[in-house]
Amino acid sequence: MGEGGSRAIPLWDLPTRLTHWAIAVAFGVSWYTADNHLMGAHRISGYVILGLVVFRLYWGVAGGSTARFASFVRGPGATLAYARTLPRRDSVAVAGHNPLGAWSVVAMIVLLAAQVGMGLFAVDVDGFESGPLSHWVSFETGRTIAGAHEWGFRGLLVLIGLHLAAVAYYHLYKRQNLIGAMIHGRRRLGEGAEPLKGAPLWRLALGVAIAAGLAWAIAKGLRF
Amino acid sequence: MSPIRKPRTLGLAAGAILALTLAGAALAQTAAEKAVGARQAGFKQIGAAFKTINDEARAGKPDMAAIAAAAAKLKTHAAQVPTWFPKGSGVESGAKTGAKAEIWSDAAGFASASANFQAQANKLQQLAAAGNVDATKAQVRQVGAACQACHSKYREKD
Repeated sequence: MGEGGSRAIPLWDLPTRLTHWAIAVAFGVSWYTADNHLMGAHRISGYVILGLVVFRLYWGVAGGSTARFASFVRGPGATLAYARTLPRRDSVAVAGHNPLGAWSVVAMIVLLAAQVGMGLFAVDVDGFESGPLSHWVSFETGRTIAGAHEWGFRGLLVLIGLHLAAVAYYHLYKRQNLIGAMIHGRRRLGEGAEPLKGAPLWRLALGVAIAAGLAWAIAKGLRF
Repeated sequence: MSPIRKPRTLGLAAGAILALTLAGAALAQTAAEKAVGARQAGFKQIGAAFKTINDEARAGKPDMAAIAAAAAKLKTHAAQVPTWFPKGSGVESGAKTGAKAEIWSDAAGFASASANFQAQANKLQQLAAAGNVDATKAQVRQVGAACQACHSKYREKD
């Protein structure tokens, strides 16, 4: 490993890792259920993703240090400077999202949020299956949104493909194992690397309550 | 005009007529395309009416009059369904359509499926007009089943 001689330090907190893998699984479920027209299950998996995205956004301002947007979203200068080091095999491992990967994360979260948002208003061709908020839009509008929902899916496939290709590139070419860190949360980093500063448990509880409450209310169509 | 110019004038005129004819042919919809357009517009009306019904059926307090009115529209369109599929308006015509060949090869089955849709929509309209909420909700599912029974047999999957 290019990271030999250094120590493994905590990098990703458990909520960040669980959210990551849960989104990966739920994306697969959404894909499968849409392909097989299992719309009841598709709606449920959409509500799960809605809750996960809401939680991830909340965790991006209230979570552990490496999950916070302010800690990893960088300007064009820093991003470009990092991008220039991409062909180098000996580049120093970044503690957390690197400036380029950060934009990939932001793009995936934004498109996933938009995708879930469109699903809430989408209507199927028969006017039978529909998202929980589709009663706010006309049949025509709901059909247009359903069309955009399909394009959103294609866009997500592209972003996920890029994400997987980047992880493979770091693994094979740069000899940096990013997958292990996302599983067990620890990573070998240089002496100066700043370890994760975790968030207190009450913040996690609050975030789960907000995400679950919002997903439940929207699943009910915001009709009470 | 000089005699020498005449053949060229004639050639120009013939060319212009030919070009106009080709352009006209390209612009004109075929009969099959017109039929496909009409039936897709019709099914969009059905989809819109059925969405109204579903929106109300899923609401806490369904507007039964709105359901009855939309169900009456469904019934009207259901009666039109058999006229939306003239012979020669399938994929073989070159028109972009999801209508399967079985619509014409199994005409009796298709007629009974559309008659069933008409009957279920009629029942829905009566239940909604009578203000029976639970029976109306159950009947909405019956109408949906009538849609699906026909679509699974006679419509291409998208």
